[in-house]
Amino acid sequence: MSDAKVILADVLQVSVAAISDDAAIGVTDQWDSLAHMHLILAVEHALGRTLDTDVMLQLDNLAAIQALLNQG
Amino acid sequence: MTVWTPGQPVQMETERFTLRSLTQDDATDTYISWWNDADVQEGLGAKPRGWGVQQARRHISRFSNARSFHLGIFCRDDQLLIGFIAVFVELPGVVKTNTVIGNKDFWGQRVVLEVRDRVIQFAFDQLGASKVVGQVDGRNFSSIYNYKAQGFKTEGVLRQQLPNPDGTRHDQVLFGLLKSEWQPDE
Repeated sequence: MSDAKVILADVLQVSVAAISDDAAIGVTDQWDSLAHMHLILAVEHALGRTLDTDVMLQLDNLAAIQALLNQG
Repeated sequence: MTVWTPGQPVQMETERFTLRSLTQDDATDTYISWWNDADVQEGLGAKPRGWGVQQARRHISRFSNARSFHLGIFCRDDQLLIGFIAVFVELPGVVKTNTVIGNKDFWGQRVVLEVRDRVIQFAFDQLGASKVVGQVDGRNFSSIYNYKAQGFKTEGVLRQQLPNPDGTRHDQVLFGLLKSEWQPDE
């Protein structure tokens, strides 16, 4: 199971199965401004560090979140 | 199409809101409270201002309705003022906007997207803008979401540009939207 899907499902308050592979800002209805704030904070918590702004700005789709989590 | 004459108040409508130039009479206790609210001011990268009615009226009076606008966001159904959006012609053809939702009951209600979409249209159609820009604290993730969702492109990061009340500094992100890139929300 994808870590990114688990995190995104948690902040969007939906099931992991409801998260599509192309989930992204502008594509996923529940992904609103408050959810985005919670998402970035959740990713930072998962990685145990504050994200650089340049990195944070890339996190507007599921694939980018997963790639960052894979890097650790 | 909004009919507007430079120097005269602006009024525009969206599905849920009326946007109009604020006047001295709009410096109400509610409006003033937003300038003194830590949560609201944090979104502007500022501390609570300690403003009273005089400072609020002076602030409102600084907007000319020619190259700068201070538009209240009013609910269409009951005319409740819930926030404001500032609009500045920064350079020829370049308009900057800054939106504040003071009423926290409306946070997360997609108000920024709805009202800024209308203001972007105003900037391109009435102010002759070819580009709309915004600047946001790099830790203001909700605001960053709004710029991305509206199609703005990241144009730069100013490192440690903004001082924080706790003594640390935050990056500032610059966003831009060209007229050719804009797709109004239908």
